[in-house]
Amino acid sequence: MSKLVTGDGRTHIASSLMRESLVDRSVIAKTDSDREFSIMPDVKLVGLGGHSIFDRGKEALFPLAEELASLRHRYKMMIGVGGGTRVRHTISIALDLGLPTGGVAQLVGAMEEANAVFLNALLAKHGSIVMQREHFWELPLYLESGMLPIVISIPPYHFWEPPPEHGPLPTHGSDFGLFIHAEVLGMEKLYFVKDEDGLYDRDPKKHKDAKLIKKISLGDLLANMPEDLILDRQLFTAWKTARHVREVHIVNGLKKGELTRALAGEDVGTVITKEARHA
Amino acid sequence: MHDPGHGSGRRTIESKYADEPLTQNSGDSSYDAVALMPDVKVLKMGGQSIMDRGRSALFPILDELAAAKDKHKLLLCCGGGTRARHIYAMASDLELPTGVLAALGGYVPRQNARMLQMLLAKHGGIFMLHDDFEKLPLYFRLGCIPIMTGMPPFGYWEKPTENGRIPQHRTDAGVFLSAEVLGAKRAIFIKDEAGLYDDDPKKNKSAKHISRIGARELLKLDLPDLIVERIVIEYLTRARFCHELQIVNGLERGMVTRALEGEDVGTIIYRD
Repeated sequence: MSKLVTGDGRTHIASSLMRESLVDRSVIAKTDSDREFSIMPDVKLVGLGGHSIFDRGKEALFPLAEELASLRHRYKMMIGVGGGTRVRHTISIALDLGLPTGGVAQLVGAMEEANAVFLNALLAKHGSIVMQREHFWELPLYLESGMLPIVISIPPYHFWEPPPEHGPLPTHGSDFGLFIHAEVLGMEKLYFVKDEDGLYDRDPKKHKDAKLIKKISLGDLLANMPEDLILDRQLFTAWKTARHVREVHIVNGLKKGELTRALAGEDVGTVITKEARHA
Repeated sequence: MHDPGHGSGRRTIESKYADEPLTQNSGDSSYDAVALMPDVKVLKMGGQSIMDRGRSALFPILDELAAAKDKHKLLLCCGGGTRARHIYAMASDLELPTGVLAALGGYVPRQNARMLQMLLAKHGGIFMLHDDFEKLPLYFRLGCIPIMTGMPPFGYWEKPTENGRIPQHRTDAGVFLSAEVLGAKRAIFIKDEAGLYDDDPKKNKSAKHISRIGARELLKLDLPDLIVERIVIEYLTRARFCHELQIVNGLERGMVTRALEGEDVGTIIYRD
């Protein structure tokens, strides 16, 4: 694949996409195939909610840190952290100032960085390390040396956050970011630790009669999306075209042992499933 | 710190969004967006269309940009071209995920940006990374021409695509999104065609030129091929600031200059 081709004023390298418009649907389809390589399929990615876990302080964090410390020898694990109330405050101020959507998106990651440092302080003696985004390919190094990497969740869309369909809020949030992180590495399962038992048909903090959804397929969920969602909408949209992630678990981190049971394969909390792409 | 959740146990800061689910984006009527640097001209130098043609195509365009730089604030972004296509073809053959393709796709536009920087150094060309974006005011104050990759920084976090592996957000998207966040009204794409045609003019000689078309109208035509990334047209329909894409033929002398002067040369795709 190294032949140079000239003759139309441009110099091309011979390849199946040479000279082609990458916008052409038939050209894009040529890059498709039924399979996709799984880069690190056996890693467990666990996301800790900012608002739901971190903002509760030690009452929620100490027991969870203990649980994570006991789990990390059993699994290759990676922890993602959310931002929580400081992100919400940032957004409130930024929108009042009229900052554009991309400007708001640029700001929120710093609040997650702070939570990554908090968690790292609690878990450092158990081998945790804050993994910077630029160290993406160092994940195997950390895991093989028995460490527990902690990452921020928000995707690096920054100033380039796409214009939302409604309103000024950036839509590519932390849940979406963790989902893509799991997907690109070929993981099959993703775990979100929140302060509720899972996904409800309505916000259980506002409605006492909200019903817990224990198991649902992505298709059924998309057909009937609850208004108050516990995870980013973009996660579900992206999941439609994803190839690796099969299950998203939402577990209650305030209940001791729930995460342990979920990682062991039990269906605790809510399990959202997706059927195989070419089933 | 206080506890507005009435014993919820959360230590929260009171603010408008303190207890709202951020997953809802119903709109905020009090929101009044500020244009950060509306007078910046955001330009994209085509990869396959210009860079891969080498000196004969590029030098006259650089002359035009050097002549215009004291009159306009130019932010020059770069496309990839054939080396990026080779990378995408290799990565697709290896069945790697879209996010990996997007990260790999970043290398070539960055190389191209470095080439442009070397050639424009004597006119104040400055190579910049995404992280330098906030230094744009400094570069302009000094009379520089900041040059960066057109690729947005999504990398491994690029969404998987339907029916293929090529990332949806490539250099056209990055250029458009740069213009949008700066509050610039127009993003200018320098290519080797006078804009949009109803078919690929390189393959179909009777393809008709379209000088002006609305984004929704264009999406409705559902053309199998387009001169800009499809997702950019979609974003254009809901953009807050960048309401026009202009595609000009950089091989035709003076076109870039006329576009910078605000003339409607080439094709204008507008927010309808």
